[in-house]
Amino acid sequence: MIRFTEDAVLPETLPHPDLVAALPRLRRYARVLTGDMHRADDLVQDTLARAWEKRRLWQAGSDLRAWLFTIMHNVHVNQFSMRQREYAHASLDAEDGAAAGWEIAVRATQSDRVELSEVLAQIGRLPPEQREVLILAAVEELRYEEISAVLGVPIGTVMSRLSRAREKLRRMTTEAPTLKVVR
Amino acid sequence: MPLSDDELHAYADNQLSRERASEVAQTLAHESALATRVDEIRRHNALLREALDPWLDEPLPRELLAAAAGSAARPRLRWLPTALAVAASVVLGIGIGWFGRSEMLELAGTPVTFQRQAALTHALYAADANRPVEIWANEEERLVRWLSKRLNFPLHAPNLNGLGFALVGGRLVAGNEKPGALFMYENADRQRISLFVRKDGEPSRETAFRYATEDGVGVFYWIDEDCGYALSGHLDRGQLLGIARVVYGQLAAAEAADAATPKR
Repeated sequence: MIRFTEDAVLPETLPHPDLVAALPRLRRYARVLTGDMHRADDLVQDTLARAWEKRRLWQAGSDLRAWLFTIMHNVHVNQFSMRQREYAHASLDAEDGAAAGWEIAVRATQSDRVELSEVLAQIGRLPPEQREVLILAAVEELRYEEISAVLGVPIGTVMSRLSRAREKLRRMTTEAPTLKVVR
Repeated sequence: MPLSDDELHAYADNQLSRERASEVAQTLAHESALATRVDEIRRHNALLREALDPWLDEPLPRELLAAAAGSAARPRLRWLPTALAVAASVVLGIGIGWFGRSEMLELAGTPVTFQRQAALTHALYAADANRPVEIWANEEERLVRWLSKRLNFPLHAPNLNGLGFALVGGRLVAGNEKPGALFMYENADRQRISLFVRKDGEPSRETAFRYATEDGVGVFYWIDEDCGYALSGHLDRGQLLGIARVVYGQLAAAEAADAATPKR
């Protein structure tokens, strides 16, 4: 007789099609977090494994994508030591080049628009916690309250990070030589 | 009401209520510096999406699809570590080749491994365009009742709709001394997989997922007490394992439900 735990009795509590549908966005968010294609896929895989482990904590009918982002954020924070994050900060203050670990390939072949590759390089220069908020708000179009839940920080913190991220982006854009308006 | 910086962002991100948004719009009409800032935020949003949206169209690696199916999950099941270890060592079938049905029948009496029997049965019926099954899925209840009666124990046809595989139907197939049952499923790409069930005299203590390939057909099989189950198909191993887990879970749940109902 096979003895099965409750896990076996309640085998599937995550809607598989929704999970697959969320994959491209999870992958994109992972790239924004890690700045690296390969590490991003590892992060997605770890996130999915964690999601299945914790599948009972997901409330059926609630936004699966936001829940997965939450898990991904936590997995990422746990995987990257404080030291590495501080190192990333330090490199930003150097004011030159992309942030440490930011290796997102800029595919010039896909688009000849300089401003697209510029903006990719610029978000790499943002401190990770500001980058996260900016992407969740501007690209994933999550509501601020959702972002606050995903990151586990108060909404005031979300707003100040978003404001600072945009301020930096604005400065970088106006200061970027390639985007300078030449009169 | 004065316009806060937070509200400026919320307005640019379309997160304000309709009433407040129209108030903000009125304010912006005579605050050109703020209006310029909103335009800039929106332009950056559009630029970011334009830069990052192409990533969404990239093909997904298999490992991620397998992970989404939960194939690296459920580590708390006691048997799972063993099962994974066994599944990781791919047992390759001996390349005997496809004999065809008549040869297979001639071999009656020759021991054919369970997984090979499952693969051969799958290959035979899955390729049959017109009559892959004896009873079609529209008579699922009758199918399950009939097969249960012929095999002399309660069978269950797993529901794989959530994985994109619909039940085609089932049929009675050759087992060893006793008959076996075959449930066939098909997805939108017309790929077919089948669950082969056979009951034998010898109870087995082990319940590990095992994997074999037989003439290109992948087979995940496991023995539950004296009942053997095999899931066969031309899918890759990760996909097949993901489906096998779902099948196993549903059968375990059904078994528990059967055990809970008093015997008639």
